[in-house]
Amino acid sequence: MKLSVITHTRNSAQDLRRLLECIRWVDEVIIVDMHSADGTRELAERSGARVFDIDPTPRVDGIRNQFLNEASHPWILVLDSDEYLSHDAEPLVRSLMTECSGRYDAVAIPRFNRIGNYVMRGSGWYPDHQIRLFVKGTVRWADAIHRPPSIITGDERLLRLQPPNCLHIHHDNYENLAEFIRRQVEYALSDTYNKDPSLFRPEDCSAKAYAEFAFRHDRENDGDISTALATLMAWDKIVRCIVHWDSLSPKPSLEKFFTLPITTSIPDEQLRGQLAARDRRIAELEDALRKMRSSRLLRLATWFDRTFPATSRSVARLARRPRS
Amino acid sequence: MKAFSLHAIIVSRGLAALLRECLGSLDRAMEPIRGRGWTTGVTVVDNASTPPLRGQLDDAPAHDILRFDTHHSFAAACNAAAQAHPADLYLFLNNDVLLHKLALHHMAKVFEADRRTAVCGTRMVFPDDTIQHAGVVFGPGEKGPYHDHRKEASLLVPRITRDCQAVTGACMLVEGDIFRRLNGFDEAFPFGLEDVDFCLRVRQAGHRIVCCQETDSLHFESMTPGRVELDIPSRRLFMERWKNRYTVDG
Repeated sequence: MKLSVITHTRNSAQDLRRLLECIRWVDEVIIVDMHSADGTRELAERSGARVFDIDPTPRVDGIRNQFLNEASHPWILVLDSDEYLSHDAEPLVRSLMTECSGRYDAVAIPRFNRIGNYVMRGSGWYPDHQIRLFVKGTVRWADAIHRPPSIITGDERLLRLQPPNCLHIHHDNYENLAEFIRRQVEYALSDTYNKDPSLFRPEDCSAKAYAEFAFRHDRENDGDISTALATLMAWDKIVRCIVHWDSLSPKPSLEKFFTLPITTSIPDEQLRGQLAARDRRIAELEDALRKMRSSRLLRLATWFDRTFPATSRSVARLARRPRS
Repeated sequence: MKAFSLHAIIVSRGLAALLRECLGSLDRAMEPIRGRGWTTGVTVVDNASTPPLRGQLDDAPAHDILRFDTHHSFAAACNAAAQAHPADLYLFLNNDVLLHKLALHHMAKVFEADRRTAVCGTRMVFPDDTIQHAGVVFGPGEKGPYHDHRKEASLLVPRITRDCQAVTGACMLVEGDIFRRLNGFDEAFPFGLEDVDFCLRVRQAGHRIVCCQETDSLHFESMTPGRVELDIPSRRLFMERWKNRYTVDG
């Protein structure tokens, strides 16, 4: 079974050299370059890769789909230029393609993420499964940053590798936290947001921020770096909310922005569902209360309480006394 | 006199703190041979450590890292690193060995003095100054190979550099061409005795094996968890292959 590797680049010469070195064994390399000015394109051509030129785009995810069809082989491995594979990747990938044959269409590969000199041990940054190895035509990306692609043939066709002692992607993410912050802001500013103001819910944003912090905060594995990253990623939810709100017209109210969330550590879809269920329940209770207030019996009881307060208290005491 | 290229290969699964000390002692031990014009390089084979060693050794002396995502035998890891780095001589070194600063100097002199030498080891001691390794000898019957003078006070063991049938792979300087010609260590061994197997094949091919005794390097021995369990099948394989085919040292 043959394999094509697809990588998107923009001024990535330094990282690309390492990547090309570790995938010399693959059957085809496709480089989609966004007008690099640092020799990336020349480096890719010299290595024998097929090179495509496209205009720079802030989001690679959305354009990944259009180049998947360029792959000449039935299996595709998507890698970013700042990622690389281990020395034993070839036998591991080849045996995965054989193992998957007929049973699975895609493989979620765990990824080691490095920030500065530190490789993350947990905090939602490890194992950080990535759907990158798949049969051509079975996986599709959405036009949004850092969202997992969907398996067209169904999630049951996805094989999820269990670390340790299995194939990994190695990712040198950020030189330091300052670079992390700069890129998070860039992603937030260039991401796509729903344009319908009626669907914007500021209280969801604060809930998502709390959920993100709860999900990422893992001092046992990563100590202070976990606290720093969890705080920054929770903050990223707030930043995105404001960027989203700023893009809307007309602008909905931010009044409920700091409403305390009802829950944490739950995925977006589930959170949205729970918030809708909570709203339905509140509406039901308000409706029931309205009906109660308007009932004759309640009006009579309220008149009795106000007119004969002492008798009312005695009746209440008798009602609470256990029956002999 | 020929200036050799030497490439050191250290296989490690985790144990980054120990590995940093190992790399520091190796760098100090390489200084005298660099002074004689030898070129040196170091590869750390990261044998499926979680998290990876990359990033944890940044303040250690210069080296490169060859990463495996799945656990490999010592033999397979060493062979892969040697194949990736052609050199005149290879130094296979365990991550729990702290080399004496003159250990490589004496080992290098053996190679320079007699080109028939294919493998050279060095004396190593436990932290209590008793012998961990001063050459491998062979006993009769099921006893097979064992470390000569093990647990004897180093002070009491003569410091005469001598030929032996085998030396430990925990610190082994090997002639590159012979290593390649013999296809390196036999990867059928899970862990342990691939070094003695290799030495016996080297002797069969007509080359010398020497163990230097001038200095005491430190070897903590078997620091990697799970390593001891792999010794048993390795020993079984070794005895099937070599029993009654080596000289009994007595």
